[in-house]
Amino acid sequence: MIKESYNVTEENELVKASLDGDNKAFGEIITRYRKMVARTVRGMLGDSVFAEDIGQEVFIKLYYSLSEFRGEAKLSTYIQKIAVNLTLNEIKRRKRFFSMFSQKGNNEMHEFEVADHDTEERNEASEIVNKALTAMDPKFRVIVTMRMLQGYSTKETAEILGLPLGTVLSRLSRAQEQLRNILEKL
Amino acid sequence: MNPSEIKKMLISSMNADADPIEVFRRLKDEGISYDFSKSFGDKVLDKLFSAGLTINSEMEFVKSMNFAFYRIALTGAAAILVLLISIFLMEGSLSFNSFLGLSDSYNESIVCLLTGN
Repeated sequence: MIKESYNVTEENELVKASLDGDNKAFGEIITRYRKMVARTVRGMLGDSVFAEDIGQEVFIKLYYSLSEFRGEAKLSTYIQKIAVNLTLNEIKRRKRFFSMFSQKGNNEMHEFEVADHDTEERNEASEIVNKALTAMDPKFRVIVTMRMLQGYSTKETAEILGLPLGTVLSRLSRAQEQLRNILEKL
Repeated sequence: MNPSEIKKMLISSMNADADPIEVFRRLKDEGISYDFSKSFGDKVLDKLFSAGLTINSEMEFVKSMNFAFYRIALTGAAAILVLLISIFLMEGSLSFNSFLGLSDSYNESIVCLLTGN
């Protein structure tokens, strides 16, 4: 898997130092994993103005739940689970919000998501990936994000999402079908 | 890579036997990268710190309230003790009547006042 992988002992020391109130240690954790979180959050939410807020929320939640981290799993997996859960919650919240005002809630949500681009220049490949991802069903979007943007295997994806391997493989196949349909229209 | 090649690559990346690491690398080579703003880390730490300061100030307030409560309680206990000693010295006992300021000799006067005899 392509991820920021660090020495486990060193990571556990950073966690311990953060728990002891060393803010520099927690700052180091943020520096190490911010891009990984950005890939998940921005991949699933698009370049929404809320993506950065959700990213901040991920690390704030991590800080307050560090005492529950036992060091049995990798810290990156632990952070990834928080990021996925918070992003899915945000997608659900937005879906509810938009459906209150319009029956075409999903379409409006997608327009809203892609409308806000930050200052960094986007190339063509980025545009295609972002448009395809934001048009996908959230349950497929998370699978595609884990695979394409994080480089996780199906087994690792299953572990992060807390799903059986068979379910992930089935969703992967359906996600491919949906992706094909979306990309044909782009 | 032209758009159609990118699309083909994205679709084939979803094959169960495709190597996700290779897909990730190829997308990275195409300039697909994600990050937050430069001040992201500082913003998170600021939020955590400011929350910590609020909690600290709340804790200080609770501590000072506890201190004030102990001082008031001790002063009150000392006042009650002085009152008991003074009652005992004046009345010679700590009976219920002593607390009310009535001694036994007053009983008759009260009966006289109440009955008029």
